[in-house]
Amino acid sequence: MSRSPSLRQPAARRLFRLGDAETGEVLLNQRRVFILPTWAGLLYSAMLIVLFLTSINYNLSLGFALTFLLGACALIDMHLTHRNLAQLYLSPGRAHAVFAGEEARFELHLLNRRKHDRFAIWIGFLDTDASRIDHATDIPAQASSTVALSTSTIERGWLSVPRIRLQTCFPLGLMRAWAYWRPDLRVLVYPRPEEHAPPLPLAQGQKMDGRGVAGHEDFAGIRPYQSGDSPRQLAWRQIARSDHRALIAKQFEGGAASELALDFQRLPQAMDIELKLSRMAAWVLAAEMRGLPYAFRLRDLYFPPAVGPAHQAACLQALALHERST
Amino acid sequence: MIISHTLSTKARPMSRDKADTLLLLLACVLVLAPQASHLPIWISCTGIALLLWRSWITFRGNRMPPLWFLLPIAALSMGGVFATFDTLFGRDAGVAMLALLLILKLLEMRARRDLFVVVFLSFFLLLTNFFYSQSILTAVLTVAAVIAMLSAQLSFQYTGVVPPLRQRLRSALFIFVLAAPLTIILFVLFPRIQGPLWGLPKDANAGRTGLSDSMTPGNIAQLALSREVAFRVKFLDPLPSQQRLYWRAVVLDQFDGRSWTRRPKSPSAAPPSGNVRTFVHYQITQEPGSQPWLFALDMPQSTPQLVDNPVTLTPDMQLVSRRAIDERVRYQLTSALDYALEPDASPERLKNNLLLPIGYNPMTLRFAAALHRRLHNDAQRIQAVLDFFGGKEYNFVYTLQPPLLDRNSVDDFLFRTRAGFCEHYAGAFVVLMRAMGIPARVVTGYQGGQINPVDGFLTVRQSDAHAWAEVWLPQRGWVRVDPTAAVSPDRIERNVDAAQASEPILGGLINMDTGRDSLLSRLRFRWDAINNGWNQWVLNYTPERQKNLLRSLGFDNIGWQTLALLAAAAGAAIMLAIGIPMLISRSRRDPIERVYAAFCKRMTRYGMPPHLYEGPRSYGSRLASSSLPVDSKHAVEQFLALLETARYAALDHASRIALLPQLITLLNRIR
Repeated sequence: MSRSPSLRQPAARRLFRLGDAETGEVLLNQRRVFILPTWAGLLYSAMLIVLFLTSINYNLSLGFALTFLLGACALIDMHLTHRNLAQLYLSPGRAHAVFAGEEARFELHLLNRRKHDRFAIWIGFLDTDASRIDHATDIPAQASSTVALSTSTIERGWLSVPRIRLQTCFPLGLMRAWAYWRPDLRVLVYPRPEEHAPPLPLAQGQKMDGRGVAGHEDFAGIRPYQSGDSPRQLAWRQIARSDHRALIAKQFEGGAASELALDFQRLPQAMDIELKLSRMAAWVLAAEMRGLPYAFRLRDLYFPPAVGPAHQAACLQALALHERST
Repeated sequence: MIISHTLSTKARPMSRDKADTLLLLLACVLVLAPQASHLPIWISCTGIALLLWRSWITFRGNRMPPLWFLLPIAALSMGGVFATFDTLFGRDAGVAMLALLLILKLLEMRARRDLFVVVFLSFFLLLTNFFYSQSILTAVLTVAAVIAMLSAQLSFQYTGVVPPLRQRLRSALFIFVLAAPLTIILFVLFPRIQGPLWGLPKDANAGRTGLSDSMTPGNIAQLALSREVAFRVKFLDPLPSQQRLYWRAVVLDQFDGRSWTRRPKSPSAAPPSGNVRTFVHYQITQEPGSQPWLFALDMPQSTPQLVDNPVTLTPDMQLVSRRAIDERVRYQLTSALDYALEPDASPERLKNNLLLPIGYNPMTLRFAAALHRRLHNDAQRIQAVLDFFGGKEYNFVYTLQPPLLDRNSVDDFLFRTRAGFCEHYAGAFVVLMRAMGIPARVVTGYQGGQINPVDGFLTVRQSDAHAWAEVWLPQRGWVRVDPTAAVSPDRIERNVDAAQASEPILGGLINMDTGRDSLLSRLRFRWDAINNGWNQWVLNYTPERQKNLLRSLGFDNIGWQTLALLAAAAGAAIMLAIGIPMLISRSRRDPIERVYAAFCKRMTRYGMPPHLYEGPRSYGSRLASSSLPVDSKHAVEQFLALLETARYAALDHASRIALLPQLITLLNRIR
């Protein structure tokens, strides 16, 4: 697959109608599908010229017929290559949040509402590094196909999906049709969790009465299990005794002050802000792993103590978007 | 769809690359097979061996041979080509090289781009096959090879599931069928250029049969075995009787004791003289040969002209072109069936037609002298010789397999073997005439022909080749005398085939009745008519023919620019006819949906586009609190309420559609 001309030039952008991101389902109409011969296609036309000259020179009537037939096949191939891509519906799918440094995956749906199968459509990001791999996909008639493209992430914050190029040389490989698509699809990139982060600030700073940690052990009764409860809270003895083996959790009571609190402000002032965010992220993950409810404070933002995927996502999102425009 | 794909994948136990490569090999075999008929036998054998080896490699999944192994094979093959043809260039050697190149490339196919090299070489080889044959069968085989090659090329393009072979063949056929109309348009309208553009290799027209410029006993008999068509005639006037169908080609007036040859002649300055009574107009389509003769019924009255190849009419009524007729040509002619040619020729002019080699055929000379003494005028003398040939007591035999003759060939023929073909009789007759002082010469050409009842063309084959004599008589000029007719009158009234009554098939094992009305002969007539149509319309589609066709369509005197424009316009029309159905988005959306889409579009124009997540109701409530005029707001409210009914109420299709006009009225009230 050959590289396209640089698309950063304004002329190229106008020529290829590269606009802003498009919302929702997009139809690749014929205006958006470009087509040019491949190298093989150019050689093919050179071959046609040779065939033509030979036919003239030897007055081969059937030679003319063969030349014209092969030329017509190339033209039909152009139509078919164009048809293989045109009138394809594209719609963005899901994209899950990732930590910086991980691969962000974008799901893309390709919908074929026509009555012909489409084969060998290559899809890949346009502006990323050269080592990227295009994915090939087939889309049967009246069906759809889902492609997941991934790109590496470096920075936290929102990451918009890079411009996507779809191309195909099917059926004869003499022509290459391609189209660009920039879906309005973005993925949240969390700060990279600090490796070898210091242990959770369990009692750190809150040296009031020593109950902060002990509070967790302050058994107050039992209640039915709620999703989000840490496994450590399960009241195994009661579960074993219960008739239905229903899950029962221990209810603890403890002063708010004694809970684990992750506070951005308490990190050393001199620390790099990104490092601070990384550490917070690492702590969030560590607390979740241990099932410890934690409160979260980032400047003006405060989440009361809790534990569970929703809480974790809210905290990580806050970290990711800290001092970033949404 | 997905399931059927998985099933079909399971149904193909062979791995993908293997199957694709085998398909490509098969396509190459289709390309190469017709070449086997003219390639040297060792190349065919090498080719078969290498192709088998290649398929075995593919089938077993073995490794490809390394380059150091292939290079010596390639060098050896090149050496072989040089040894066979004494050159690496030229037509035949070039074709041999290309065929070997394709086979070796198949053994060295590694990358994807090699596929295209193979495909291009194959297409070129398909073209070279037309050097040797342009028959209907060749055309059909070529189309099959093209389709096979396209499906092989197509198979390499799949990336995921590969449909079964039948579907891929159908795809290739689909491409072919779509390409066919465009091919025909281009074939008919693309401006034709008369070749050659550069010098043809010497072997370009090798191996064609036809009359030669000399006559040695045996060479016309050889022609008589060939069923090849020499030319076809379309009579514009009623067909003359079979006995008058003498197609004149070469006049031979120089005898060296063994062969008759042409004396070089200056082109005639005077128009052909003749006391003309019966004219006949006809059109001849002559097959390519290696000689410059054109054929005319005795005696031509006009000189046809060929493109780039001037034709002259010599004083002895030969039509000779400057170059050999190396392509199929068509010309129109007028002949006079009753004529008087050079009735007042001077003795000076006739002198050459009395010469005989000295020291040959003494018995013949004595026989002629005796005749001359016994009879008093030339007419009687001629009749005496014809009676001699035809007399039962002399046992002259007409045969295609005459015995060999010694040095005094005429003596030997007249007094010993008495068995010969037309050339023996014509030659001996002219020798006798000259010996008696009557100017005489040999004429070769064709006699007769076969009318095809299907298309009315008269077909003249090589087997109709004939030789006869012309004698000069005072006041009457040159008169045609056919001594063969005296021996075998059937030969003249019908033709060689008919004279033999039935044609031996399979070396005489089966004798089939090939009379004029038998099924076989009707089939043959039909096939001949098809072949003739093919020759006339496909193979002989020359610049001239193109011009004539366009003239009949009303384009007078069309230049190549106009022609190119016409071809482009017709091509574009066909491309559009093919392309538009492919592109038209046949969106069969619900009419109610379309009205809602129109509504959203209108609202977008007023600056309030719907959000992606909004349904009609929430959109409506947002619009209600917008800055639209009150009337419009009202209309929007009504519109959306009605839309909701049309969409979701329990209505049948007809009453749903019945709401449409109302919706559209409401929509138009929104401003």
